[in-house]
Amino acid sequence: MKTMRAVWAIFLKDVRSEVRTRYAVNALLMFVITTLAVIMFSLAGEVISSSAQAGILWVVMFFAAMSGLSRSFVSEEERGTTFTLQLCAGPLGVYFGKLLFNVVLVILLNIVIVVLYLLTMDQFVINQPGLFWLVIFLGSLGLAASTTIIAAIIAKASSKGTLFPVLSFPILLPLLMAGIDATKLAVEDNVWDAAWPNLQILGAYIVVVVTASYMLFDYVWKD
Amino acid sequence: MKSTSSWWKYLLLVWIAFWSAVGIVLPIAGNLADLAYLKQVNAPGEIQVKINIDHSQPAEFDREEGMFVFQGTDGGGRTATFYVPSKPEGFDQAQSLLVEARYDEERHGVRICQVVDVDPGLTLPYIPGLEERARIIFFHVPMAWMTVIAFLVSMWYGIAYLRKHDLEDDMKSANAAGLGLLFCLLATVTGSIWAKFNWGSFWNWDPRETSIFVLLLIYGAFFALRSAIEVEEKRARLSAVYTILAFVTVPFFIFIMPRILPGLHPGSADDTSGGPVMSAGGLNAVMRVILYSLLAGFIVLFAWLMNVRNRVSRLLVRTDFEA
Repeated sequence: MKTMRAVWAIFLKDVRSEVRTRYAVNALLMFVITTLAVIMFSLAGEVISSSAQAGILWVVMFFAAMSGLSRSFVSEEERGTTFTLQLCAGPLGVYFGKLLFNVVLVILLNIVIVVLYLLTMDQFVINQPGLFWLVIFLGSLGLAASTTIIAAIIAKASSKGTLFPVLSFPILLPLLMAGIDATKLAVEDNVWDAAWPNLQILGAYIVVVVTASYMLFDYVWKD
Repeated sequence: MKSTSSWWKYLLLVWIAFWSAVGIVLPIAGNLADLAYLKQVNAPGEIQVKINIDHSQPAEFDREEGMFVFQGTDGGGRTATFYVPSKPEGFDQAQSLLVEARYDEERHGVRICQVVDVDPGLTLPYIPGLEERARIIFFHVPMAWMTVIAFLVSMWYGIAYLRKHDLEDDMKSANAAGLGLLFCLLATVTGSIWAKFNWGSFWNWDPRETSIFVLLLIYGAFFALRSAIEVEEKRARLSAVYTILAFVTVPFFIFIMPRILPGLHPGSADDTSGGPVMSAGGLNAVMRVILYSLLAGFIVLFAWLMNVRNRVSRLLVRTDFEA
């Protein structure tokens, strides 16, 4: 019960700090708009296949997550509030609080990305909305799950910005491959059965990564 | 100076050299089923076949055909009539022959074009589509296994560090990862060469190629992380956590995705032979003995290299300390 309260308190703290600095709204939104603009310019007038569209969508989602999600731990380190946080809450509270904040952030971010993508790409038509949004939701959970623990690792290292995608990519690749494939199937109007192995991989991935993070976070967090 | 016995090192080198030589030298020989298969797919080329001569049946020069005709079987017990332009040398004493042969449509028998060897001994099986290229399996597959084994050892010592906080374990973890990177590069290179000659290009993004690529990335990321942290204890702790984290996601690549996605390697979803070569019993006994002997040799080689690297690291730590 105490841990639950700590989780919720840390989540609220991060939300409040976000509302005050508006980092995500300003920086991440601009990042998404810039990326989409580059894609628009490079694809002007081109007809591209649905698998390429699904791939591009995931490229945007991956790099948006890479630019935004490391902040949860890096900002604590930069502001020198790590020790205060260690005194105030146990490692589990910190981990799940940060995870909850990252999950909410990445889900909102991905919804914005998909909506903007739908508005700007005329060819992008979702034939299976239910499956599509389920894949985006599971993908967001997986992105948040693996980036939270890696953000905690790189917050302690130097050259944080470049290290984050380098460490995240190999860990995220099963998620990306299954997510891209399932998104392609949802766009192409396939039956749910076709995407079932991918959904299983996504689900298993989330469970595995959260469990491993839960067991390992203690070692990362305490100095 | 402590003297260490070195006989096992020579033994190991001889062992690896011997089994490598066996894998390279043994002739590839098919059987009658392979000839029937080639006829069925309309590729009636000549392949090497090993046949056992049936001396109980008449074997004589047939004047009408202008051929020496005899009966024989192959390793699988299939019988056929063989036609050869002249009686092979040493035919009467020979038990078996290694010949270049093709299926003869007119005579419904096997036409022998050339006798390569008499009583050839052990041979490697003919695998349609692989032929002589099958030999690289003896190096490629153990390299890929060693990559995963080295990764497992690295994670093992990572866990040991997290439990006991002994920097010795961290050093072993890093050394195992360094060797794993070496094996990973060798697996990638041997696989890439094989892919070029079998599938037409060096890289095809087959699920298993993706998996070895990800292992390369993980090893690279591991060393990138280590070089970005100054404090030894912190570096040890964080790289141990990263190894464990990477190890729990790697099975998705190595054991799950190559089996449920269509691909080029054996064991893919669209492969009808069922399972990877290793587990399905798809390999013939001779190949299996060579493969496992080489794998065992490489495992011992890995342990030896680990030992050398650990001693070097210990010396480096000591000189650092004294200076």
